[in-house]
Amino acid sequence: MNTVPERFVVPIGPQHPALKEPGHFEFTVDGEQVTAASVRLGYAHRGIEKATEGRNWVQNLYLLERICGICSHIHATAYCLGVEKLAGVTAPPRAQAIRVVVAELERIHSHLLWLGVAAHEAGFDTLFMYSWRDRETVMDILEALTGNRVNYSANLLGGVKFDMTPELQDMILKGLEFLEQRTHDYVAVVTTDATLLQRTRGVGVTSREQVEELGLIGPTARASGALRDLRVESPYAAYADFPIVPVTATEGDLEARFVVRLKELFESYRLIRLILEKLPEGELQARMPRKIKPAETISRVEAPRGELFYFIKSNGTDQPERIKVRTPTLCNLASVCILAVGSQLADVPMILAGVDPCFSCNDRAVSIHSTKLGEKQWTWAQLRQYGIDYYRR
Amino acid sequence: MKGHLLLQDAIRSLFRRAATHRYPAERTATPERLRGKLTYNPEGCTGCCLCTKECPANAIEIITVDKANKQFVMRYHADRCIYCGQCVKNCRFGCLEMPNETWELASLTKTPFTVNYGEDADVERVLAGLVTPEPESTP
Amino acid sequence: MDTIRDLVTLFFFPGGLFVLALGMSYEWVDRKLMARVQNRVGPRWFQPFADIAKLLTKEEVIPLDGNGLLFLGLPIVALAGALTSALYVPVAGWHPAYSFQGDLIVALYLLSLLTLCTGLAGANTSDHFSLVGATRTLTQLFSYEAPFLLAMLGPAVMAHTWQINEIIADADGRWMLFLQPIGFIVALIGLLGKLEMSPFNAPEAETEIVAGALTEYSGRGLALFRLGRHVELVIGLTMVAAFYMGGVNGLPMFVLKTLILLLGLVGIQSLVARLRIDQTVGLWWRWGSLLVLAQWLVLVVWEGVQA
Repeated sequence: MNTVPERFVVPIGPQHPALKEPGHFEFTVDGEQVTAASVRLGYAHRGIEKATEGRNWVQNLYLLERICGICSHIHATAYCLGVEKLAGVTAPPRAQAIRVVVAELERIHSHLLWLGVAAHEAGFDTLFMYSWRDRETVMDILEALTGNRVNYSANLLGGVKFDMTPELQDMILKGLEFLEQRTHDYVAVVTTDATLLQRTRGVGVTSREQVEELGLIGPTARASGALRDLRVESPYAAYADFPIVPVTATEGDLEARFVVRLKELFESYRLIRLILEKLPEGELQARMPRKIKPAETISRVEAPRGELFYFIKSNGTDQPERIKVRTPTLCNLASVCILAVGSQLADVPMILAGVDPCFSCNDRAVSIHSTKLGEKQWTWAQLRQYGIDYYRR
Repeated sequence: MKGHLLLQDAIRSLFRRAATHRYPAERTATPERLRGKLTYNPEGCTGCCLCTKECPANAIEIITVDKANKQFVMRYHADRCIYCGQCVKNCRFGCLEMPNETWELASLTKTPFTVNYGEDADVERVLAGLVTPEPESTP
Repeated sequence: MDTIRDLVTLFFFPGGLFVLALGMSYEWVDRKLMARVQNRVGPRWFQPFADIAKLLTKEEVIPLDGNGLLFLGLPIVALAGALTSALYVPVAGWHPAYSFQGDLIVALYLLSLLTLCTGLAGANTSDHFSLVGATRTLTQLFSYEAPFLLAMLGPAVMAHTWQINEIIADADGRWMLFLQPIGFIVALIGLLGKLEMSPFNAPEAETEIVAGALTEYSGRGLALFRLGRHVELVIGLTMVAAFYMGGVNGLPMFVLKTLILLLGLVGIQSLVARLRIDQTVGLWWRWGSLLVLAQWLVLVVWEGVQA
């Protein structure tokens, strides 16, 4: 060490063991204290929004499902609901109910995954292994129900692909029983384990005001006492017929986020059981037109991480004019930079994990500020050329 | 302190079989609905190409050998396929299926990923280059 | 003949290769038990050997902005320190190869050499992860070292000698862990701190600072540091078992007692989350040191009464 830098920056990402996805954070530290934080995104930008404009409505369903690997079904649901609204089609009640069942199963899998990741960030690998072991139960259920473990392809425009059978119902109920008992154990562990509490209680406290200022959503906001849950605020699919009771906490620290996410699981278990019991009979798919007359709409759903927003514009052809996606991580990520300042470096990965970030669904193109190029607005050809030139260098 | 919950779990785990499997040696049953490699039955195919039109991955090509006699060869690119099952849903004549049998598709070369389905004679003609496939749409 | 005996002792048994092999075996047991507790399959028996062999064959990348000589030398010093201390402890139930009055202190400090070298190695680069890791390593060293040392000296006080040989002879058959329970617990937890195992793995917390002080190390240097760590595991277990668990007479007794201890370590490791470095320091100085000092007070008074 020849020179002592003025600012001692600890970089986290784009390749770092704490983040399994590429995002770049720079934390300026003074000893162990973080004094400044900044974030840079865009490492996994895939140009999906642009790509949707060259595919037809059905093809886009599968493309958009691949925005996120964890909450794939909810992306497809948001898109389907939006396109159905544009085309003036309503999916049959049975299809809507099955959509909700898959969405809730997905929420269970996502929250258990998060529990593992957060435990790993806290250096609690046993909890990590156990929660991921138990997550296999719900993964197996999803696989049996839809045929896939990750991108379920359960949705169709105007309905769903797969029906529920009595055998599957039995399997789901059995799995849920096991998971419910395990979740009780996990709630007990995260609220009583002394070493884990040292890392979570009072760490990364987000106040109710900060939730408003930063526009936080999802479980992150609910852990601070803000009731933000689209399943309650504007019920979509079958949530109007099968209402949920939102889970909130008031502390706003990491412990509250653990508790909120875990207690949401109980709500999911209850809802799935209720739907399976009262599954409406009927068709699985309504007829969809191939082309949709020019119109635009928005579609909002509650993904496991918070509100997922779709803007869909049609132009009378079988392809969309524009699709805009805003994923929940984008809203929550700003809070990491705020909360990290003043906390210990060791708590930073925990705070980061606390919002349950998902980078690849979050990455988007940013306007390029270049004085050399002079122009603010680029055509597609120019952007493409820029990309080719950039990588040729 | 309810840390004992975890302790119980840990002790139980010590004497239990590992949750992970030694995969190739030890297998679990394949779920019935798992979507494996696509199969094509040329009987009944009318060449409507609904499968190719809505395939999100452009993994299917229908090559017309003889339109009048309804002779088609389907070229399937298993490496491009995303196994969504939309083609199976789209086919009104039940020619396409994604059975759960073939799903371990790893290979050292790319050749096994392009599969020609159809009557043997038709496939031979296509492979011999006697039939010109329609220009492929760009993915 | 003496020269040959010395050479065999240094390079084969009980020092040198034997300790290295034993260290890797214990590392395997640790990893396997950890995996079993976590309901995983775990590595096969040769995994630590394979890891070390792989690291030894890999190219060693020497960073430009540190002292290259120091970078190469520190792992060697660290491993040498650990191996040397093996000569003074009853590895595998064998008599200590060498013995003199006060070798307890020498052995304990040779063990700390490894941690010190790790810290220096981290400070020798300009990599920020390494620097933070080095700071944490050294901070932690200062927090657990004193209580651990005091805990190990407890049996020595009862034996009225600072020679490992004689302490063991005195402790043989006397389960010191019942006489000095606090000392035993502090020694066991101190061992976790020394080996930078969970919950004291803040210096190499991978989710924060990648590999801590050793981030820049690859290849041979990393292999040597890891070997040093494995050897330290064996020596630490041996010493605690010999001092507190009624001695380690003979190989079966040694294996049994050290493995029971290791199981205890794995249990602690797997059931706790990582402590922040400030919490680690707080724990040691607020609880570890005070408890050990309290026990010392009792010991000294008791010795006084006896005398």
